[in-house]
Amino acid sequence: MRIGVFICHCGSNIAGTVDCARVASLAAGYPDVVYATYPMYTCAEPGQAAIEQAIHEHRLDGVVVASCSPRMHEPTFRKTVERAGLNPYMFEMANIREHVSWIGRDIEANTHKAAELVLLAVEKLRRNRPLYSREFPVTRRVLIIGGGVAGIQAALDCAEGGIPVVLVEREATIGGKMAKLDKTFPTVDCSACILGPKMVDVAQHPLITLYAHAEVEEISGYVGNFSVKIRKRATYVDWSKCTGCGTCMEKCPSKKATDRFNEGIATTTAITIAFPQAIPKKAVIAKDFCRQLSGKKCGVCAKVCPTGAIDYDMQDTFVTENVGSIVAATGYDLMDWTVYGQYGHGRYPDVISSLAYERLMNASGPTEGHILRPSDGREPKSIVFVQCVGSRDPSLNRPYCSGFCCMYTAKQAILTKDHIPDSQSYVFYMDIRAPGKMYDEFTRRAQEEYGTQYIRGRVSQIFPNGKGQLTVMGMDTLLGKPVEITADLVVLAVGIEASRGARELAEKLRISYDAYGFFMESHVKLKPVETNTAGVFLAGVCQGAKDIPASVAQGSAAAAKVLTLFARDCLASNPQIAHVDNKRCVGCGKCVRCCPFGAISTCTVRGEEKAEVIETMCQGCGLCTATCPQGAIQLAHATDDQILAEVDALCQI
Amino acid sequence: MHLAYFPGCSAKGSSLDYELSTQAVLNALGITVWEIDDWNCCGSTPAHAVSTELSSALCARNLDLAAKAGADQLLTPCPSCLSNFRATAKRLEDPDFREKVNALLDTPCAETLPPTSSVLQAIGELVDCETLAKKATISLKGLKLVAYYGCLMSRPPELMHFEDPENPMLIERMLEALGAEMLDFPLKTACCGAAFGIPKRPLTAQNSGRILELAANLGADAIVTCCPLCQMNLDLRQAQAEKAMGRHFGLPVPYFTQILGLALGIAPQDLGLAKLVVPMDALLPKLAPKTSAPNA
Amino acid sequence: MPDIAKTERRIVGFLCNWCSYGGADTAGVARANQPTDLRIIRVPCSGRVNPLFVVRALLHGADGVLVSGCHPRDCHYSTGNFYARRRLELLKHFLPILGIDPARFAYTWVSASEGQRWQHVVTRFTEEIHALEPAPHFEELEPLYLSQRQSTEPKRPFMPQPPDLLAKLKEEIRTHLPELDCVLGWQKGRDALHAVPFFLRQEEDLERLSLDATCHNSLVRYLPEYKGKKVGIIVRGCESRALVELLQEGLIAREDLHIFAIPCHGLLDVARLEEELGRYQHLENLVIEQDSLRITVDGKERSFSPQAFLRSTCLGCASDEPVLADTCLGSFTAGESTPVTAPELALLDGLNLTERLRFWRGVMDRCIRCYSCRNSCPMCVCHDHCIAESRQPHWQSAEHSVTEKFFFQIIHALHLAGRCTGCGECQTNCPVGIPIFALRAHLNRVIAELFSGYQAGRDAQAVPPLLSYMVDEANIQEREWQ
Repeated sequence: MRIGVFICHCGSNIAGTVDCARVASLAAGYPDVVYATYPMYTCAEPGQAAIEQAIHEHRLDGVVVASCSPRMHEPTFRKTVERAGLNPYMFEMANIREHVSWIGRDIEANTHKAAELVLLAVEKLRRNRPLYSREFPVTRRVLIIGGGVAGIQAALDCAEGGIPVVLVEREATIGGKMAKLDKTFPTVDCSACILGPKMVDVAQHPLITLYAHAEVEEISGYVGNFSVKIRKRATYVDWSKCTGCGTCMEKCPSKKATDRFNEGIATTTAITIAFPQAIPKKAVIAKDFCRQLSGKKCGVCAKVCPTGAIDYDMQDTFVTENVGSIVAATGYDLMDWTVYGQYGHGRYPDVISSLAYERLMNASGPTEGHILRPSDGREPKSIVFVQCVGSRDPSLNRPYCSGFCCMYTAKQAILTKDHIPDSQSYVFYMDIRAPGKMYDEFTRRAQEEYGTQYIRGRVSQIFPNGKGQLTVMGMDTLLGKPVEITADLVVLAVGIEASRGARELAEKLRISYDAYGFFMESHVKLKPVETNTAGVFLAGVCQGAKDIPASVAQGSAAAAKVLTLFARDCLASNPQIAHVDNKRCVGCGKCVRCCPFGAISTCTVRGEEKAEVIETMCQGCGLCTATCPQGAIQLAHATDDQILAEVDALCQI
Repeated sequence: MHLAYFPGCSAKGSSLDYELSTQAVLNALGITVWEIDDWNCCGSTPAHAVSTELSSALCARNLDLAAKAGADQLLTPCPSCLSNFRATAKRLEDPDFREKVNALLDTPCAETLPPTSSVLQAIGELVDCETLAKKATISLKGLKLVAYYGCLMSRPPELMHFEDPENPMLIERMLEALGAEMLDFPLKTACCGAAFGIPKRPLTAQNSGRILELAANLGADAIVTCCPLCQMNLDLRQAQAEKAMGRHFGLPVPYFTQILGLALGIAPQDLGLAKLVVPMDALLPKLAPKTSAPNA
Repeated sequence: MPDIAKTERRIVGFLCNWCSYGGADTAGVARANQPTDLRIIRVPCSGRVNPLFVVRALLHGADGVLVSGCHPRDCHYSTGNFYARRRLELLKHFLPILGIDPARFAYTWVSASEGQRWQHVVTRFTEEIHALEPAPHFEELEPLYLSQRQSTEPKRPFMPQPPDLLAKLKEEIRTHLPELDCVLGWQKGRDALHAVPFFLRQEEDLERLSLDATCHNSLVRYLPEYKGKKVGIIVRGCESRALVELLQEGLIAREDLHIFAIPCHGLLDVARLEEELGRYQHLENLVIEQDSLRITVDGKERSFSPQAFLRSTCLGCASDEPVLADTCLGSFTAGESTPVTAPELALLDGLNLTERLRFWRGVMDRCIRCYSCRNSCPMCVCHDHCIAESRQPHWQSAEHSVTEKFFFQIIHALHLAGRCTGCGECQTNCPVGIPIFALRAHLNRVIAELFSGYQAGRDAQAVPPLLSYMVDEANIQEREWQ
């Protein structure tokens, strides 16, 4: 082999604490090294040209560049050597800047270390082999999981871009949390008026297939070629016949069903359509509350249904869809605030969550938009809002900020005054977080125009005062005094948590999640939409707290990523994957068991069982290589021999 | 079970009725305890504010006496004493601290100390509510009560390990089993302000006043307590609280042992009922023998 | 190669590309000053780090090895670091039995944003390595020779085979032989003390079938070669566990097997008996009784106590019940096998780290690299593809060095981790009597400790601990680096 070594000065970044010339002269003595030099800026245009020239002049078949981190410039230099006719994988980097020159002042020690890191790279390179990508076809369809505003946006953008969309929603209707809201900040425009048309677009778009009341059961495959099994949960209503007329709801005798859409502030019928603008507008029977389905005699809905859509024997059914990409937009749930004893463990009916309050204010809610106390139906005059209930609370292991509560609390305070002009609102807050466009102005309006009293401090206890009102005790930390407010209604700005089942879904998608169940993006700053599984993208709160504008933006961003992926007919595979040496494999299946991507299957070769790597699924982690006792499965570009060579370069004494 | 008993200094003075009723109830329930010989102040007030070592040394001596007499457990009626015992036992796990404490004692404190518990919790653990109901001869039916545990009984939770620290229910479960109507009392673990009884009297009056007012608003006949300081504060100083709140309460503040004792058929004079400043007399006629006592 | 600076120690780091390598970059970008000793090898994932890389570095002169990956749950490859955590924790517990200070090895998690944490970890680890003596050169150590035997009472007293067992067994085999391609059993070898495996194919072969306390070779080892054929096999309780392991790995099919289970009251340690007998020309007679073992060699009768010559693997055995059987012959003793520290392991447990390394330096010198240990191991399923003899990957050179010999034993032991059923064949078959069973026995002990009492070969449906993980490990305390 003929290897060329380039020890970069990086101006004074490296040369300041490493004797580059000496490293180059030492490197010249390493095995197979025929050329060693020390340019000023290797990554700059003349530096790259010098590499190309050296490859030609010295007939190099491998190049080592000792400079910055390969995480920075490996792709750059791979292209450089490729331009000069080498395979891009006949290149290695030694990181002598981030790992040497920048972290130690001792020139002598740094020079030694740099020289050894170059030796490491040379020994690795001597065992490198050219690697080639393969092309594989792409299924140009996308699965979007979650029909909240982020998922809706992603679905519409993809469909408008000509990509067929499969949209899966767990609830009976799309719309997510936004559909429950009354008005939205900071413009105080009606939530239903801006979301409604988008929901209708989803229903009407010819390229969108909507599965509501359905969940993702299994996912297999890889970028470009996923296969998704979807469970359509039994609705006991044949949706192909249901017209959404609502007759069944009028007649249903079981009226005590939990109204999840109304956040439990009212009850509903066992057969129900979540709300008038639901998409799809189809009825669903809640099994636990249905008399017929709990073995009692009823059957009223079946009798009154004009189209005969009721089917009490309906079972869950499954469909399988093939897609090339997946967008996860599973949103959030509110945390269970009843863990807070100081707020009464949920014992007091007039202490409610902010989302329940939205339903109280909403014209399509159970009170038709009149703010009335759940306990006695009276109009409250004194309303206390408590922020950060389950947010920024390390004692409950919820140190994160839920992001949008400050804003909707201000909105709710404003709307409360609009609804009940002689009311007084109080807001207990920790800090007001209003960094968006027009946001801070909005919170100031709540205080200055609407007379909302903002009290900086936490609430220590809420309890009924025995006279039909609630006593809210707290601290005003700005005055340094305890405060006590008598309230008719207390609204808790309950913190968010990852949606129920998010972790299980992440495992099906083979993506990571943080300690709180929010999905991990590929890079916090530079890859906020991608995940570490190729072809899987994120939109909305499932990735972390964000408000409606940010969720919509991320929905569009995810759609852009999908469209980018599908802009080509074929995808290039990563050649740094595992390969099985059939001669050595004994078919013991250890690699199959632990592959995180299910990328190893078994096949029969001349009557013997062997492992087989599915090239497009292998992500190149090398766990199999570390697992196989006979070394029969080797990860290209990080083979046992390559790593052993690196170890031996350092440790053969 | 060899149960040692530490009455605490209040028991021999301001809360003589708590002591009387505790002994009477333990006796009626067949729980035998023995008072540790030559016990001293637990160091709760005001020593702990001055010197942790000194306060702990006072406690350590009591714990040591109990340990050396072979106690399996040490009971005390007073939550403040209990809190100090537990805190001391915890601190003594640190060898450096133990050394400092031992330097203050004539004989070094025993290595293994008995676990400590409140009389309330011990009764709850030793006698289940069903048994309690069986042993009762008088029904509490017709009594509307609130239980007030005070701030110390459940706090700090990692030391006291008593029920849900924000919402303990033990007294409620006991007295409900005996027929009383127990009202949900949100301020059951609020501070009564006793610690500021001398330096900041208005604050104490306000804190106690809030508790009394809520109990009155809820329509309670009495506030049942388990802490000598709380009881004194709500009972003896009720007039001050009334002045602060501008309202008359006239709420009796008995100990839970006194109510238990009444249900168990112990005579009022043996429970020290006469010691209550706000008398309970108006309530006594409501009590009647159980109509169908299962073991009668 | 360049000289190491005199003030430095040799520290090797294996860093995953996505988190820890990025974390080290972040530390660099922040100009976070660090000791210069560490040399970083970039790997895709901490799951790629074969624990043998670590041992290789430590045996070849590294003073310390640090592995760092993504935090649990943040793995770029979703679960790679969960597997790494189990394997590296196991390694940490394994090193001491080799005589290598476990403080020389650490694994941790550093994310790409945790430059400060990286700086802290490197600084702490380097300080800790400097606080130790430089790593001893294995080859240059003074060997420590010890008499290896300590007497231990067996859990169940030795008993010879019931006299009618062989006849009954033959009858059963005779019945089933027509439906089988072959039955695996034993026959007499060169003399009565040396039984050898025997593959019965026809009825006449039954004549030569032999069965006594010298028949130790695990026949299970031959089974994978017969995959797809109908095979009968004679197994004792312990051997049935090896069978379970092979079923777990899918290398044999249950429906192809006919298992003849026989009771067992201990096997004789033939290797030790040979040592005792010394050289002889002819072994004329062998009588095995409950409390006497009489061997006539070259016309002279010698008598031994069979209890004292039990194989060390039999000492802790409380039950000879087979995990699987088609035909059971005789009656079995039920009971939980409570772990008994094998005598060779007890010997090592009594030594300090340096003494252990010197001990291995001494005994491994005798190794002739015959690979009998491997060839007799029922779990060495790689057979002709063992990495000890492969050129690609090239784990072992043919060099006749004690380090290479020792490294092979470590490879063998680590490949058995979570799979070894403790049959002890490796040691029994060692022609030079190296107490290598100690390494396996120690690993089995550690596996049980770390993975809630896991024992290989008890359940064909169980997932072996190193091929699985838990998000929150019950028995692994990760280092905090305070």
